[in-house]
Amino acid sequence: MNELVTKKKKLFSGKKENLTAYLFLSPALVTFFVFIGGPIFATIFFLDFSKYNIISPIKIVGIQNFARMFADPEMAVAFINTLKFVVILVPLHVFIALILALLVTRKISTPFKYFYRTSIYFPTIVTVSAVTVVWTYLFNYDFGVLNYLLNVLNLNSVPWLKSGSWALVSVAIFSVWKNVGNSFIFYVIGLQNIPDTYIEAAQIDGASPLRIFFNIKLPLLSPTVFFVLTINLIACVQIFDEPFLITNGGPGDSTQTIAWQIYTQAFRNFNMGYASAIATFLFIIIAVITMIQFSLQNKWVNYDYE
Amino acid sequence: MNFISAGAKKTILRIALGFIMILLCAIFLLPFFWAISTSLRLPKDSFNLPPQFFPTSFCIQNYEMVFSTFPFLKFILNSLLVAVVLTISQVIITTMAGYAFARLHFAGKNICFFLILSGIMIPISSIIIPQFMVVKSLGIMDSQLAIILPYLINPMGIFLVKQFMQTIPSSYDEAAIIDGAGKFRIYWNVILPMSVPALAVVVVMTFVGSWNNFFGPLIYISSWDKMTLPLGLNVLSSSLGNGDISVILAGVVIAFIPPILIYIFGQKYLLQGTTLSGLKS
Repeated sequence: MNELVTKKKKLFSGKKENLTAYLFLSPALVTFFVFIGGPIFATIFFLDFSKYNIISPIKIVGIQNFARMFADPEMAVAFINTLKFVVILVPLHVFIALILALLVTRKISTPFKYFYRTSIYFPTIVTVSAVTVVWTYLFNYDFGVLNYLLNVLNLNSVPWLKSGSWALVSVAIFSVWKNVGNSFIFYVIGLQNIPDTYIEAAQIDGASPLRIFFNIKLPLLSPTVFFVLTINLIACVQIFDEPFLITNGGPGDSTQTIAWQIYTQAFRNFNMGYASAIATFLFIIIAVITMIQFSLQNKWVNYDYE
Repeated sequence: MNFISAGAKKTILRIALGFIMILLCAIFLLPFFWAISTSLRLPKDSFNLPPQFFPTSFCIQNYEMVFSTFPFLKFILNSLLVAVVLTISQVIITTMAGYAFARLHFAGKNICFFLILSGIMIPISSIIIPQFMVVKSLGIMDSQLAIILPYLINPMGIFLVKQFMQTIPSSYDEAAIIDGAGKFRIYWNVILPMSVPALAVVVVMTFVGSWNNFFGPLIYISSWDKMTLPLGLNVLSSSLGNGDISVILAGVVIAFIPPILIYIFGQKYLLQGTTLSGLKS
């Protein structure tokens, strides 16, 4: 890519095309600043220090919102629930998607491969609010398919959405079913990018499939694993749609997450200043995760096959 | 196990893995089969046990009832309008930005690129409140514009388009310059037509993303006749309760169809796109 840039510079005599470039960029830049850049700035440096309920004008109140946030038992619950989701969902996504990808990239006939890949990726493309309706019925205690299957196997019905502790698990199960296809596709591409010659050479040397996996596939897959891990961490920390659509934070407060709190405080209770403080908190969490991930990258991600 | 040959062991393993794969795929697909079959049952039978995964009754009236009892057609048309307008405008904005990053030299290029890319990492929950205030002050609350304008910026799309455009040899640009074309002509008549694979990815991503968008309409849309399908379905299902679920499921099944169609249509481009995103190189 570097040669291309230097070559272009020579061809186009290094003359700066500032006006043209910014004309091309302006719609994107304007939209970015108005709807993303400006808002994140406003949330972090202004709104979180204010009190605003849409009706009355904005009032600056200093760090009151943050003091309230750290003392709020509801926030503590939301934080713990979010942590639970992260701890359950991230490993599930990272590992299940990998196993699925390994199973699908074996030497099997193409129609089967196509069928497996399509089935696994299928849930990711449909509308969340449509498919949560289906799963709410599947989770139904008395008539749902899941409890029916359990009863057929002579097991007790599970209070999927009725019990606080089970509700979180149910939402997690749904989330894996719906979203694992995304991580799965990244792994499939990563595995397909491993040259067959490496694998064949190892097989000639008599390596077992397990050794091939740990000593060849996994190291070469580490950039993909890093990517999948980071994406899933960031997504799980801000999880909203699934807990909202299936249980709306309930029963009780068992599936309330940080993002759920932001929504409720801002658009149900109209405590927009307080919600902005929580939103800033969420942003900082994600920024920290990203920084930690990128600094740890050098320790275990293997890029030298390029 | 000495009496089983290595070859036989391998075959047994293959068959076992095959069964496991079929079982896993069944887990991924069965909810859809259940939804379709139950949507075709008589409303009063919808929760009858045992559950059906393949339709045995064909109560098409459920599908009629969805449209007659709710402004379901309005939901679909709203979703379609928003998705089409958003996709077309976003493709233009994204490819223009991608072209600028791929082909033009200008001051602040790297800063702008980094800035736009950082948009991927910013959680929607952290910007929704000021964004809500902007939408309100623009006077477009509860309108289609409210769920189009904030989504015109697509950092991932800009990244993909830039990556792709950089693989187009500059000889095409040179030929166009010799013919007297300016930067915009090069963009519109040379680079854009050659970027169709990347365009296809952006089109599919944007259309499906818009169609499936729930959070945006949740915040910005409140009146029945402006609702899009995801929000409409959600409101619908909470209002009907557990009685006539086969009617709701008819609506759900209808909602499934457009993303599936777009996905089938753009399938090969989609996979190409993820390879383009830099994981390979």
